[in-house]
Amino acid sequence: MSVVSELSQVRKKGGKRKPSALHKGDGKAAIFFLGPWFIGLVLITAGPMVASAYLSFTDYSLLEAPNWIGLENYTRMFEDPRLINALKVTFMYVLISVPLQLAAALALALVLDRGLRGLAIYRSVYYLPSLLGGSVAIALLWRQVFGADGLVNAVLAWFGVEGQGWVSHPDYALGTLMILNIWTFGAPMIIFLAGLRQIPQMYYEAASIDGASKWRQFRSVTIPLLTPIIFFNLVLQLINAFQTFTQAYVVSGGTGGPADSTMFYTLYLYQKGFASLDMGYASAMAWLLLAIVAGMTAVNFLVSKYWVFYND
Amino acid sequence: MTSSIRFAGRAGLAWRTSAVLGAGVLALAACNGDSGAAPADDEPTSEGSSSAAADNGDTGNVEIRFSWWGSDDRHTLTQEVIDLFEEKNPGITVVPDYTDWGGYWDKLATTVAGGDTPDVMTQEERYLTDYANRGVVADLAELGLDTSMVDESVLTSGTIDGKLAGVATGINAYTIVADPQMFEDAGVEMPDDETWTWDDFKQISQEISDALGDGMYGVQDYGGNEAGFNIYARQHGESLYAEDGTLGYSDATLESWWQDLVDLRESGAMPDGSRSVEIAEGGPEQSLLGTNSGAMGFWWTNQLSAISSAAGRDLVLLRPPGESEFDRTGLYYKPAMFYSVSATTEHPEESAKFVDFLINDPEAGALILSDRGLNANTEVRESVSAQLDPLEQQAAEFLADVADEIVDGPPAPPNGAADVPEITGRINEQVLFDTLSAADAAAQFTSEANAAIGQ
Repeated sequence: MSVVSELSQVRKKGGKRKPSALHKGDGKAAIFFLGPWFIGLVLITAGPMVASAYLSFTDYSLLEAPNWIGLENYTRMFEDPRLINALKVTFMYVLISVPLQLAAALALALVLDRGLRGLAIYRSVYYLPSLLGGSVAIALLWRQVFGADGLVNAVLAWFGVEGQGWVSHPDYALGTLMILNIWTFGAPMIIFLAGLRQIPQMYYEAASIDGASKWRQFRSVTIPLLTPIIFFNLVLQLINAFQTFTQAYVVSGGTGGPADSTMFYTLYLYQKGFASLDMGYASAMAWLLLAIVAGMTAVNFLVSKYWVFYND
Repeated sequence: MTSSIRFAGRAGLAWRTSAVLGAGVLALAACNGDSGAAPADDEPTSEGSSSAAADNGDTGNVEIRFSWWGSDDRHTLTQEVIDLFEEKNPGITVVPDYTDWGGYWDKLATTVAGGDTPDVMTQEERYLTDYANRGVVADLAELGLDTSMVDESVLTSGTIDGKLAGVATGINAYTIVADPQMFEDAGVEMPDDETWTWDDFKQISQEISDALGDGMYGVQDYGGNEAGFNIYARQHGESLYAEDGTLGYSDATLESWWQDLVDLRESGAMPDGSRSVEIAEGGPEQSLLGTNSGAMGFWWTNQLSAISSAAGRDLVLLRPPGESEFDRTGLYYKPAMFYSVSATTEHPEESAKFVDFLINDPEAGALILSDRGLNANTEVRESVSAQLDPLEQQAAEFLADVADEIVDGPPAPPNGAADVPEITGRINEQVLFDTLSAADAAAQFTSEANAAIGQ
C-alpha cells in the first residue's frame, strides 16, 4: 500500500504530462500483474476460507455430503477436554518460547552489530536454523538429539548425570519443542540487525558525552528506538508460533504424545479432520484459532500504544 | 519400471492437488445451494469428474486406478503384479496410485470428497466400516467376485450389513514373538505356549529381567495396541466390540489387563514409561527384540521376518498366554488388509476382474507371496508356500497350527473405530507414567471409545 502511495507521489513530482494516458496503460498492466495473485487469493485462500466457514456449521465426514447442524460444532468445543488441553499446550509454548526466542535474537543481533570481521558469514550461520527449523529433517534430528541415547544425554553423561528420553517423557517433551523454536531465532535476528543499523550513531555519541554507561545507552537509546522492530517481530513470531505444526507432528510421530503433552492446537485440528473424519469440527476449530490469533494480535496493537516509540 | 513408478508418483501429487481443489469447489457449490439444509442422502461424489478422469484412453481401452500404501518393496512388487494383469487382460490399464501409510488415509478421504475415488483401493479393518457405511465402496458379492477359496471366518470380517465391502488380502495374527537365545542366556526355560497363564508370563518376564540385569527386559510394553486386549477379552468370553456394534467387554476385564502391564513395569520386567514410549515409536528395528535387549513382545505374525532381521537371529512365535486359562481361546485371524471397489466406479466389471486376479490368480499370488499377509485364498496359499522364506514359513505354519483352536473371528469394528487405536495409545501412555491407575484407565477408555463409536 505504502509503495503505491509513494509511487503516485513520485509521479506527481515528475510533472504533469498526460496523467490520464499513463493511468490507462497502468490499469491494464496492473491487472495483468495482479492477475496471478488474485487468482491465487480466490482459489487458494478465499475459496477454502469460505468453504471452511460453511463446513464449520455442518457435520462433514469428507466421505458424505456435509449436513447442516448449526452451532453444534462450536458448542461442542467447550466440552472437549482434549481441546482445552491443546489450547493449554499451545499457549504455554507460545508464551514461553516466543519471548525467549526474541531475547536470543536481540542478544545475537547486538553482538553481531559490533562490526565483527566476517559478519556476513556469522549472519548466515545464525540464520540457517530459521530456514531449517520448520522442516521435517530437523524435527527428526531433534528426536535423535533429545532421545534416550541422544547427544544431550551423551553430554550429560560426561558430567556424570544420567539423562533420560526427553522427547518421550510427558514432563519434558514440550520443553524440547520450545528449545527448537528458540533455536530458530535467525529471522527475527536479521530484522533486529537491520533495526540496529537504523539507529543514528549521534545518539550514542551524545549519550556517551553525557557519561552514560554501555548498559544505560542500551536501555535508554537502543531499546526505545528499537521498540517498533521488537513489536513487529513479536506480532510475527506470535502468529507463527500459534500455527506450529510440523515440529510437533514429527517429534511426536503424529500422536501429540506422550500422553497429549505435545498436542498442539493445529495437530489436534488435523487429527480431528483427517483421522476422526470430523471435518466440520476441524473447520470450526480453525475459525476459533483464527479468532484467537486475531484477538492476540489486536491486543498487541492496543498495548503497543503504551510501549512502542515511533521516532518520526 | 522405475520410470513408470516415478511418473505415477507425480501423477499422484496431481490427483491430490486436484482433489483438494475439488473439495473446495464442492463445498462452494454446496454453499450456493439452498440456505444450509444440505441434503443428507445426496451422493457425495460427483460422477462427472471421475468419468472424465477415467476415460481418457483410446476407445476400447479401459483405465482403472488402484491405490495402496506401503514401502518401496511393495510398490515394486505391486507394479509387477499390475504388469502381469495388463499382459493377461489387454484393453485394461491399471494406474498405480500409492503413498506411505501415514499419508494414505488423508489422501483417500480427500480424493473421495473430491469425487475422484480410486476404482480399486486397499482398505484396513478399522477404516473399512467408515467407508462402507457411507456408501463409498461397492458390494463385491454383487459384482460377482469369486470368493469360494477364501477362509470363511476371514470373509465375514469384510462383511458389513450383509454386504461384502472388502475381501481380505491375507491373514495375520497378533501374538508373542520370543527370542530363544535370550531365554538361554537368562537360564530360563521356554514356556509351553499351549498351557501358560498370564501369571506364568509375568513371572517368566521378571525372571529374565532379573537374570540379565541392567538394560535387559523380559517383555516390551504392549498396552498401546487394543488387539492384545481383544485377545484377553475373548479369553474371558467377552470381546472388544460386540456383534451389535457396541463395546463388548466389562471394565473389570480391561482393568485387570492394564493392571498386568503396571505389574510388569513395576517389577522391572518391562522398561519404564519414557523408554517404552521411545521404543514403541521405533518400530521393529528399535524394538527390544530387534536390539537384542528383550526376550518377548507382542507383534503381528507378518512382522516376524522384519524383527528377526533387525535382531540378527531367528525368533520364534508363541501362542499368547492364557489360551487355556479361562473360558476359551482368544487368538484370532486378522485380515491384513482388504481390497475394495469404489461404489461409483465407471468400470465395475474391470475393477472386479482386477480384484479377482489379485486374490485368486496363482501367478499373482506367487509375486505377492506374504507381503499382504498370508494369502487368504487357501488354494493360492498352498501353491506358494514352498517359495516363502523360512521365517515366513514358520509364520504360515503357526497360523495353520492354531486354525482349529480359533473359535471365531471378531465382528467387523463399528463406525468410528478408526479413533480407537489413538485412544488406546494415549491412555496407555498415561498408565505408563502413572497419571492414570489401571481402573481409571479402563473407565476412561470405555467412555472415550463409546463416544468415538457413537454410543
